Amino acid sequence: MIRLQDVSYVRLGTRDLDGAAQFATDYLGLEVAERTRDAVYFKSDAREHTLCYFEGDPALHVAAFEVAERADLDDAAATLERLGHAVARGTPEEADRRKVRDFVAFRDPTGNLIELVWRPAFSGRRYHGVRDAGITGFSHIGLCSTDPVRDEAFWTKVCNAKVSDRIGDAPLLRIDEVHHTIALFPSTKAGIQHINHQVETGDDIMRSFHFLNDRQVRMVFGPGRHPTSSARFLYFEGPDGMVFEYSSGVGSIADELLYRERQFPFEPRGFCQWGAKPDIQEFRK
Amino acid sequence: MITIEQLRYVRLGTRDLPAAADFATRILGLQLVERTPQQATFRSDFRDHTLVYVAGDPSEQAVGFELRDEDAFQAALAALAERGIQATPGTAEEAALRKVKAFAAVRDPSGNRIELVLRPMQSGWRFHPTRDSGVTGLEAVALRGTAGEADGDFWTRLLGGRVSDWVGDAAYIRFDGGAHHRLAVHPAATAGVLAVEYRVEGVNQLMQNKYFLQASQVRIVHGPGRRPTSEQMFLTFAGPDGVLFSYVTEGEGAIDEARHRPRQFPRERGSFCSWGSESAIPEFA
Repeated sequence: MIRLQDVSYVRLGTRDLDGAAQFATDYLGLEVAERTRDAVYFKSDAREHTLCYFEGDPALHVAAFEVAERADLDDAAATLERLGHAVARGTPEEADRRKVRDFVAFRDPTGNLIELVWRPAFSGRRYHGVRDAGITGFSHIGLCSTDPVRDEAFWTKVCNAKVSDRIGDAPLLRIDEVHHTIALFPSTKAGIQHINHQVETGDDIMRSFHFLNDRQVRMVFGPGRHPTSSARFLYFEGPDGMVFEYSSGVGSIADELLYRERQFPFEPRGFCQWGAKPDIQEFRK
Repeated sequence: MITIEQLRYVRLGTRDLPAAADFATRILGLQLVERTPQQATFRSDFRDHTLVYVAGDPSEQAVGFELRDEDAFQAALAALAERGIQATPGTAEEAALRKVKAFAAVRDPSGNRIELVLRPMQSGWRFHPTRDSGVTGLEAVALRGTAGEADGDFWTRLLGGRVSDWVGDAAYIRFDGGAHHRLAVHPAATAGVLAVEYRVEGVNQLMQNKYFLQASQVRIVHGPGRRPTSEQMFLTFAGPDGVLFSYVTEGEGAIDEARHRPRQFPRERGSFCSWGSESAIPEFA
């Protein structure tokens, strides 16, 4: 069993590093942690970085999860190789670029690039965005899945994720008490489907809605409220078609013994209890 | 007697408006509200602004105090007239510049310009500075006084202030119940604003600011230290045009009006800082 502790960061390739960096700071509201020749690192919480845009193919998406022990990396590699996944050990330079001590990389059954990292860097300085987006931190990712039933089995049986709820066959998966840290959505390709940052309150969601609308950022879903996690949300489109979400008030599952996952319909009312309709391909039949 | 509702703003003349505005945002860590060729206003909290730099003579300074309502405003004008103190009503244009409904200007016995304002503008938007200064609001103003007892009489008997403590003949005066003092009057050779004080969240922000100011080569003139009077931690540094600025945090907080008796501290170094920090401020020597 691969024990995921937390989602650590996402890495996104882009052909326009300056444009992506401007979006991440001026619009999304993150803070630049470091700028190198071919990458920009962004901070959203107490961690040194939670998002990295690098010069490269925009189809290249990487999601990283933290493991507790260095030995977990070896165990995970052995487990994955036994299941037929090719595993690459990160070199020290690659680990430096990710601000982690050690890592392994592999592809999940859909082909999503996943990194398991050990000792990702934290920062002594708190996050302070250029714009007041009210962000409290990077919280979860949606992953594309070419077979959500197969991939649910991978994340729950090979890894330690548990199903919190399902929207159709799309599972919302938790690895700690937060309602979901990974969500799998049906797609024909691999890649990160959306990137979520938590904000302080529902007011922050609405402020960002107007702020981004004024600047002609394309809204793709919301403002609305998820019947699953009970979080208020807003989805909008960033560089290279990536969908970003702000949400506030995500539920937490305190009692593992009593909690039962629920089945929601794969239609707009399964995604939003206020009646917003998603303009997101993976959220539509 | 006139009842002051709260300390509201400080207006400071400057010969170099761009440099002063740069200081207020980049160094002091306030948020620019509005900039015209004549003046720049800065926010520190839910008030529309608490600091204004006005292009012109640096000796043109004013401190704004809010009165509760129209009745209080008219009563104040009557009380001033009864004492033979001339209050100059502000023109509509001057009131608009200050974002207040109405105001009247008076001189304290030392000659400091005091503006009594009615219905100053509030902001519904959260304060969010460019730099993570940790500022939470305008806390107090320190004035230089040349008139001795006449100053004390003006601030207490006429404007309703209560002395919380004395250090030598320097008086720490409160108006609202929320703080040990909102005004300090320090005996000096000339009148003017000695220091403008902003509250920061906690000791971490105070010390982070200390190292930031040092790295930015800003002259720190006193502290970090703790005042034996208000129990506030403080850090005082030089701003443009000879006006000092302080960050303060912690402290005694609300005064028990029924039980508090003003204390007399000796005029010596230990009365300005109970940690023994050395002061480069002539008024504290």
